[in-house]
Amino acid sequence: MTRLASLRRRLGARIGAKPAAVLAIAILAIVLPFGLDAFWLTTATFVLIAAIGALGLNVLTGYTGQISLGHAFFLAVGAYTAAVLGGTARLTAAIWLPAAGVVAALCGALVGPTALRLRGLYLAIVTIGLVFIGQHIWFNVAAISGGPGGRSFPPVTFGAFDFSPGQQLTLGGLVIDHNGLYYYLALIILAAAMLFIWNLVRGRPGRAMQAVRDREIAAAIMGVNLARTKMSAFVVSSFLAGVSGALYASYLSFATPGQWSLLLSVQYVAAIIVGGIGTVWGALLGSMVIFALPSVLQSLIPQSSSGGLPIDDISSIAYGLLIIVFFVLEPRGVVGLGARVASLWSRVAMRGGKGGGLSEETQPLERREATWAR
Amino acid sequence: MTASAAPMLEVRDLTLRFGSVTAFADLSFDVARGELFAVIGPNGAGKTSLFNVLSRAYVPTAGSVRFDGADLLRLRISALAGAGVARTFQNLGLFGELTALENVLIGRHHLMRSGTLRSGLWLGYARREERRHRAAAMEALEFTGIGHHAHAPTGTLPFGIQKRVEIARALAMEPKLMLLDEPVAGMSVSEREEITALVRRLHRERDLTLLLVEHDMGMVMRIAQRVLVLDFGRVIAIGTPAEVQRDERVIRAYLGEELEGDLAEVRR
Repeated sequence: MTRLASLRRRLGARIGAKPAAVLAIAILAIVLPFGLDAFWLTTATFVLIAAIGALGLNVLTGYTGQISLGHAFFLAVGAYTAAVLGGTARLTAAIWLPAAGVVAALCGALVGPTALRLRGLYLAIVTIGLVFIGQHIWFNVAAISGGPGGRSFPPVTFGAFDFSPGQQLTLGGLVIDHNGLYYYLALIILAAAMLFIWNLVRGRPGRAMQAVRDREIAAAIMGVNLARTKMSAFVVSSFLAGVSGALYASYLSFATPGQWSLLLSVQYVAAIIVGGIGTVWGALLGSMVIFALPSVLQSLIPQSSSGGLPIDDISSIAYGLLIIVFFVLEPRGVVGLGARVASLWSRVAMRGGKGGGLSEETQPLERREATWAR
Repeated sequence: MTASAAPMLEVRDLTLRFGSVTAFADLSFDVARGELFAVIGPNGAGKTSLFNVLSRAYVPTAGSVRFDGADLLRLRISALAGAGVARTFQNLGLFGELTALENVLIGRHHLMRSGTLRSGLWLGYARREERRHRAAAMEALEFTGIGHHAHAPTGTLPFGIQKRVEIARALAMEPKLMLLDEPVAGMSVSEREEITALVRRLHRERDLTLLLVEHDMGMVMRIAQRVLVLDFGRVIAIGTPAEVQRDERVIRAYLGEELEGDLAEVRR
């Protein structure tokens, strides 16, 4: 009996528990809008949209090890592709939303080759340059960006189906308003993107990316084409950034060139560090922390007591603190914290149970200690 | 057909210099098909530099290398695996955050075809390919005796096991020529015995040409068919283990080193 129980427990850990957790999260994500007021639903929608972009950055920086501070540029390229195709040319979102990803991916493919020559900090600096070049274009080419005053962005429309403010969808007795529509659209795209990246990083191209991150020369000797691998990482990353940027601007409905600044890139880097570098869930968890932070602060701090410091500035300080705290205390981010809690939990559960599986379940712990000893 | 008559590896007048420092000069030797050939020499003799040239990590100053009848020095580094050359690293070239199985699967990267779209969409082709190559990777891990470590992150495994993961990865590459860079360096006596047996089994049971670089004379003399001795970047002897062991220059190079080693211990 104990052997059977331990077998079931081990199987549960490998195949049973995870799908159950994913299902629980999926159900929570689907019913969530009905439990939130407009303020928090808006925040949740922005978090999901940002998570799509953060997932892209995690492919490039987390999985492939290419540090990029240029994410804001690719977000902007996606947003302005949406603006030109959806706003100026009045095309449907079924065209401009994928196009935003494709155009950003093309820009990524153009920038990609610099990563073959430059590594680490040097690549980071070059990608900062990208943000500044972008800013110059957005401020000066009014036909694209509307100039310094900004421009409006098209709402998502699929034929007669309209996501504009004031629109709503009635399903049975349920009413989904404008915010809810964007929420569910972002949720569907994010879920699809997470599934795609999950498959990717466990398959041939994703393994090559991680090999390039860990040891470039060894990877090349194993037959990994460095140019192609880094290029794919840039293309996938900027595609997701483009889609995210287009959705973001569309949901905002109006944006100025100043919004696509270096600070935006830093927020995305903060999101993957806080969430968990090189993990699929880290992008979502980190976005929940970073992009919900202004709303959380706003609801916690009464306007009068913030000492005249605007919420945005307090948020910026908090981003910095979070990056430092996580780098020092838990470099694996919220995902790492989760793993710690899980291992603590399994140790507690193990003490509760008896016999059988004990030796097997303590093994990983011993291994971990062996690493420290080495 | 002429290719199969030619040696697996032909090295001619190979020279590698870094500025005014010469790693090795005018190396010439052949490795026959199916041979277990060893390169030995004291520390700093140029053994690992030679491997780095053969695996296209370094570009030699002069000389030529023909592999299986073709010019090795014209291959791009990432084309080497496809051409049939695999190597292990003295100080480990593993990807620490990946599991042992995933590391071995990287060795099969060049045998697989799924790209970003096919893998991301997890289409039938990618799925079948992954399943097939996982089985082959597991087989390589079993061959090296560490199948039970397949799902452990390699960074958490002990050094001796990591060395075996490297050998499994090189084996999974399905090479014609395998370069083993000091496979027993930094190991205990019992681990040395096990790895020596593994290398011998690798040579006997797999259709492989093995080029072994080793510091451990004892291991090399027991398993190598021919030995090349390097000292200060020059060939001082080449032949069967018995021939090489009788060679006066070899004795001097090694005896000299042992004396120095003894002196160092006395000083301590």
